[in-house]
Amino acid sequence: MPPIINRKKCIACGYCAEICPVDCLKLDKKAKKLIVRYPDECWHCGACKTDCPQGAITMRYPLSHMMLAFPPDKEM
Amino acid sequence: MIKVKNEIVQCDFLVVGGGMGGLEAAIAAAGAGANVVIAEKHNTLRSGCGANGNDHFVCYIPERHGDDIELAVREVGNTLDGGPWVDVDMTRVLLRHTKEVVERWESYGINMRPTGKYVFEGHSLPGQQLYHLKFDGKKQKSCLTKAAKDAGAHIMNHLLINEILVKDGRVAGAIGVDVSEEEPEMVLFQCKAAILCAGLAMRLYPQQNPTYMFNIPGCPADVGSGHAMALRAGAKLVNIDIPNVHAGPKYFMRGGKGTWIGISSTIDGKPVTPYVVGKPSRATGDVTADVWPSVYFDKMMDGSGPVFMNCTDLDNEDVEYMRWAFESEGISSIFDYFDQRGIDIRKDMIEFGAYNSDLNNTGVEINERAESSLRGLYAAGNQVGNVRGNLAGAAVFGMIAGRSAAEYVKTVEHQEVSDLPVIAEKEKLFSAIWDREEGAHWKEPASTLQQIMNDYIPAMTPRTENLFRVGIKYLNDLKKLCHEEMVAENSHEFMRCLEVLDQIDIGEAVAVTGRHRKESRGRHQRLDYKFTDLTLNNKFMRVHKDADGTFHMEYRPRRMK
Repeated sequence: MPPIINRKKCIACGYCAEICPVDCLKLDKKAKKLIVRYPDECWHCGACKTDCPQGAITMRYPLSHMMLAFPPDKEM
Repeated sequence: MIKVKNEIVQCDFLVVGGGMGGLEAAIAAAGAGANVVIAEKHNTLRSGCGANGNDHFVCYIPERHGDDIELAVREVGNTLDGGPWVDVDMTRVLLRHTKEVVERWESYGINMRPTGKYVFEGHSLPGQQLYHLKFDGKKQKSCLTKAAKDAGAHIMNHLLINEILVKDGRVAGAIGVDVSEEEPEMVLFQCKAAILCAGLAMRLYPQQNPTYMFNIPGCPADVGSGHAMALRAGAKLVNIDIPNVHAGPKYFMRGGKGTWIGISSTIDGKPVTPYVVGKPSRATGDVTADVWPSVYFDKMMDGSGPVFMNCTDLDNEDVEYMRWAFESEGISSIFDYFDQRGIDIRKDMIEFGAYNSDLNNTGVEINERAESSLRGLYAAGNQVGNVRGNLAGAAVFGMIAGRSAAEYVKTVEHQEVSDLPVIAEKEKLFSAIWDREEGAHWKEPASTLQQIMNDYIPAMTPRTENLFRVGIKYLNDLKKLCHEEMVAENSHEFMRCLEVLDQIDIGEAVAVTGRHRKESRGRHQRLDYKFTDLTLNNKFMRVHKDADGTFHMEYRPRRMK
């Protein structure tokens, strides 16, 4: 579930968890690891992705959020 | 037992919610010499509906719009920043102050002129002047946070306010909870004045994919706690019986409908309203979603839906412009989604849906000084009932509240708060939730609340006396069970538990006032009172709750001049 943390880039600074508008990310201070603790509470706003100083975050959009695309029916 | 902070936090002016209204209130009050604390549930750098940006700011700039502010008041009244549920004099107050806010924001580093000059686009009916300033709000929250700190305001992040304390008929303090660590800590505040800027009541109704409660257009952290606190403190709210409906992409729920350069179209690609003739443009777009947001639901009901946002006539340049505008507005995830899934909006239309009510701009009644009916309590932003303006409304009335409060706090003394009975009651409730080892996770009542609201106090389908009666009973049953059974493992879950209790309070007020309105009007449609009562034209329904929990409703004239 979103967001996706690139572990090679993440330095566990915790900034994304600090600014998440819905508190769905947490920094596990003991394990020095960033976790997506409440993935189903993600708003997919992308604040973490935008603000990550390491560029370590990408978003995945779950299928519960599928957008509905349809070509205009020119025959009608 | 819930941990309780030893010291009481003392300030002149407590700002509840560090969104756009709250930060503006803090800047104004601290700038005028008041001792200001901002309590923000998350972090003011990225919180609330403006967390990631905005791209339109309704404003009146005489050099652009001419000297006749009355024309602006009338025309803005026909946009999403006006409508029938605002006092016209408040729109005038709003527009009198927008220019100074725009200029001040520019001085903070917010990009109000991305192209080098003021550009106004969208949201207006054809033939009217344009009033919505296209700006780049990506950095709005960091800039305003810095300005608030520079002005001397103290920011307490990860601290939610749960109750406004009232003594001798005026604000005396507040009860908060620090959720910055795993264990929540109750914090008492002593203040002379407070402002509620807690935003919308999201998550009150189920949305288009109810399994995912956070798949919603506005910030899911905004749950109407400000409405609930105002109600419990005895302040007057207006028009909370009237549901508002929003619109946007279906299943991937995101605000910002006005930023789409496209036409609301039926399956054949043809417009559903006469608002756009020919190709949509950046300047005019299609105002349908603004002025008839329920069209996407209504057309499903009459068999002529679904309705799509049709951007298939756009050229590449316009599509890239939309991408930029979405980023400015903080909804870049829409194009991120298109990119990831290979959706080309020049080939495919995107189905839109009507979004269920979120109590946008129905709430606390304020006057031209942004005062509520309770002495020392102010309000601004989306939780205010009788003025809109959205982002600009939050900013202007936040600023006005800050100025008013800075004067007010000089005229009153602090009051002792530690002896107020509500503090012991809250400590008992908090301890019960925290100490319980087994019980109801917050999502259990949160989902039931949405179901009750949808089935018995609906916003999209008709209402009746019987539905209201049983709905009120069920909500009170749910509240009692929450008190008896809710459990939290950490401060995050504890926060969610308190949110549910606030939501139930505000849901009950929607039901009680809806039941009181014995007519059909707007989206308040009653099967048992199908007519529109003409004697209620241009009347607002006020509600307040007295100390014993009784609701009192009255109609008052809408201020038309």
